[in-house]
Amino acid sequence: MQHAVATLAGGNLVSLHWVESETTDTTMPGEMMMTTATPTAASAGVAETTGPNPISPEMKELQWGAGSFIVLFILMRLVLFPRLKKGMDARYAGIRGDHEEADAAKAGARADVVAYETALSEVRAQAATRIDAARQTLDNERQSQLASANSRIAARRAEADAQASAAKAAGRGQISEAVIAIATKATQIASGRTPDAALVKQTVTTTMESAGAQ
Amino acid sequence: MFAFEFPPINEILRWQDIFPGFNKIALIAVAATVISVSLFLIAARQDYREAPTGSRNLAEISVEFIEENIIMQTMGRDGLGWTPFLLSLFLFIYLCNVPGIIPILQMPATARMAIPIFLAIVVWFVYNATGIKHQGFFGYFKSVLFPPGVPKALYVLVTPIEFISTIVVRPFSLAVRLFANMLAGHLLLVIFALLSEALFEARDKVLIPLGILPFGMLIFLTGFEVLVGFLQAFIFTILTAVYIAGAAHPEH
Repeated sequence: MQHAVATLAGGNLVSLHWVESETTDTTMPGEMMMTTATPTAASAGVAETTGPNPISPEMKELQWGAGSFIVLFILMRLVLFPRLKKGMDARYAGIRGDHEEADAAKAGARADVVAYETALSEVRAQAATRIDAARQTLDNERQSQLASANSRIAARRAEADAQASAAKAAGRGQISEAVIAIATKATQIASGRTPDAALVKQTVTTTMESAGAQ
Repeated sequence: MFAFEFPPINEILRWQDIFPGFNKIALIAVAATVISVSLFLIAARQDYREAPTGSRNLAEISVEFIEENIIMQTMGRDGLGWTPFLLSLFLFIYLCNVPGIIPILQMPATARMAIPIFLAIVVWFVYNATGIKHQGFFGYFKSVLFPPGVPKALYVLVTPIEFISTIVVRPFSLAVRLFANMLAGHLLLVIFALLSEALFEARDKVLIPLGILPFGMLIFLTGFEVLVGFLQAFIFTILTAVYIAGAAHPEH
């Protein structure tokens, strides 16, 4: 069966709770049992079961809490925080210095790259100018040599043409003489008389020129 | 069916002395100071030129957390001089909160009113003194009680409200917020632990498997209390920074 147990301290109600009872007595169900807590709090190990309002601060806790916090604050203010912060600031300053050095090195490298690219573009421009000049010179040279060769070829061609014309004229004279001789001989054989040489020559010459014209 | 007896509130919150005048709450407060001081002493012994590891890393993270996430957000660069005070406040409150989930200790020192009310009173003195230092006695109380831009007729209402909210209620709200949150978390853990025990040891065997439900909740709340402990320390510290910044620079 269950019993309501009220715990009293100094005539004041400290707690009220239900407990399960081993008894089989059913004559008083839900009986209100009054117990009085002992001032030494024997039932709760290290805890006290009775005492003042548990919410109100206790002087010993206040004193130890205040003392502990004040000691911590004083040590933190005067010793602990300044030592730690000094090291943190020194390390951060070192890191910042390293960063600045790295930034400066990076800026220097970038400037070197820019200078290199500028020099490279200047060299490229100079090379292009020189190549263009060389190409121009080569072109002029080629043109002049081509003109010279053409003029030499033209002169040789003219000379060859002249030689060919002379040879042609000489050949034509020899052919004309041979034809005249043959025509004179053939006329002598056919008619038994010698034809007029001037007439034969004129006839052969006219015939050959007309044949050449055709 | 099963015996569930919730202990008296005094049994949950009040501790017998380990030696006269020194109980578990005092032990936690002293331990918080010893741990903080040890952490920073060990951290300071390490070579600062190398990348921080271990305790130095933890100490530097806590300093940067206070500077970047509290001071720079509320006070600006001018407030960096408050770092030791706010750092002490944060570490002390956090290390007083955390024992609520540490086995054997299982009691946040801030779930008792003594430490929260002391810290709140310290903060009250600090921000009022800062206001008086920066604006003068009359200037500070004038800016607090007669905020600029309010029609003069409304001062009848505004002045008493500002006096109560700034001078009277602030320390209590700081203390009660921290105390009540930690006390509530502690009571929840006690309730679910006792309920788990009662169900696991129930005489009716059918009830025993049900014990897994409050036990699961107990595990969840234990994890949640890690967050609550940190969050309450953060809130207390950032509100302190806001109050100090408001007292030093009322125009903000």
